Amino acid sequence: MEQPDDLIIAMQNGDEKAFSRLYSMYSQAIYGIIYSIVLDEKIAEELLQDVFIKVWNNAKTYSVNKGRFFTWLLNIARNTAIDATRSKAFKNSRKNLSTTNFVDILSSSDSLNKKTNAIGIKKFVNALKPACIKIIDLLYFKGYTQAEASKTLEIPLGTIKTRNRTCIKDLRVMILG
Amino acid sequence: MTLEEIIESGKLEMYVCGALPPDEALEVENAIETYPEVKRETELIEESLLQLAETVSPPLQVMVWTNILNAIRNIKTIDKSKVRKLNLPAIIGWAAAIVFMGGIMWMLKQTNDLNNSLRVTTTENTVLKEEKNKVETQLAESSEVLDVLRSKDYQSYTLPGNQAVAPDAFAKVYLNKKESVAYIDTKGLPIPPRGKVYQVWSLKMEPLTPTSVGLISPENLKGDGIYKFVDFPDPEAFGITLEPAGGSKTPTLSQLYILGKVNI
Repeated sequence: MEQPDDLIIAMQNGDEKAFSRLYSMYSQAIYGIIYSIVLDEKIAEELLQDVFIKVWNNAKTYSVNKGRFFTWLLNIARNTAIDATRSKAFKNSRKNLSTTNFVDILSSSDSLNKKTNAIGIKKFVNALKPACIKIIDLLYFKGYTQAEASKTLEIPLGTIKTRNRTCIKDLRVMILG
Repeated sequence: MTLEEIIESGKLEMYVCGALPPDEALEVENAIETYPEVKRETELIEESLLQLAETVSPPLQVMVWTNILNAIRNIKTIDKSKVRKLNLPAIIGWAAAIVFMGGIMWMLKQTNDLNNSLRVTTTENTVLKEEKNKVETQLAESSEVLDVLRSKDYQSYTLPGNQAVAPDAFAKVYLNKKESVAYIDTKGLPIPPRGKVYQVWSLKMEPLTPTSVGLISPENLKGDGIYKFVDFPDPEAFGITLEPAGGSKTPTLSQLYILGKVNI
């Protein structure tokens, strides 16, 4: 998908319609990221609101020449969600967050979103190698840096990039054909 | 780095994930600008990751967008209403409050002034009432004196001053012998010195017997300079002497101011 730079610039100039279009393009994925971190629909909904309010208020801090808009959104969403899991109330209410990954969510969830290919993707994703599930979970869903992922997975730093590329390549074949 | 090397390095995947250090990210950005293939590759990586995240997402409620919209609009509305409130209703409100306060202060002052003048008027009324009472009393006394002067029961005598002591003095007496009442007009007497008082005597001539009738003093006053005396022996003459305060038992003849017969 080509990045909609026109819409982004319009939103930066206060265009609510452009903001609404961007929301419909990215909100579902961002919701998925947040949910994979907090594992609670109500909390994830509230955080999704917070994230997009932040996006509107801080729109000018993003530049279309520097980084992907989606990556910018990812960073805001992951930071907001991780901050929320650090609150005392959140810690008291749930456990074992770190061991749950996106595949666990896919396997346990019976209310997958309406996207027609969700069921198919679920089947493919289940076929991902366990090592790939780990690395995608950490680098993409949890926002780990290379060094952090290398330490957690006990893989040499130089291997992380290529391992990740191979895994995402598999994923691309499954999802995009 | 060649096109192939960049694509195979795994940096593009890390770049989309946001896990690339800044210097390597800059390298990727330059490559994206230079090679359309790199850009395309990046877009495909992003697309697959985006769809993966969508797959994980629970159904998204419409309310979320409504809430976001309300939140960003509220920020605007609050800003606007702040300005508007400052401009008109707040100013009108304060102005009204100030006028209202001013009005109350003015009314309090009015009430205070009225209370003060009411108090002054009440005091004046009391003073006037007292004066009226005084005048009424004086009028009653004067009428009584006038009745005496007109009455046929009273004889009037002018008693001359004693040539040795007070040649210019005189006193007028209105005498009712039947009831033993006398009014003495002292206008012709000099004002007595301090600590002295005039005393009136009823006199029998053969032998000379003085009897005190009373003192020319406020308790006997019956009008402007006129004194009333009662219950004294039937006199042949009246004498008035100057005596020490409180009067004397017998007249001090050296201070005999007035002497005159009243039996004619």
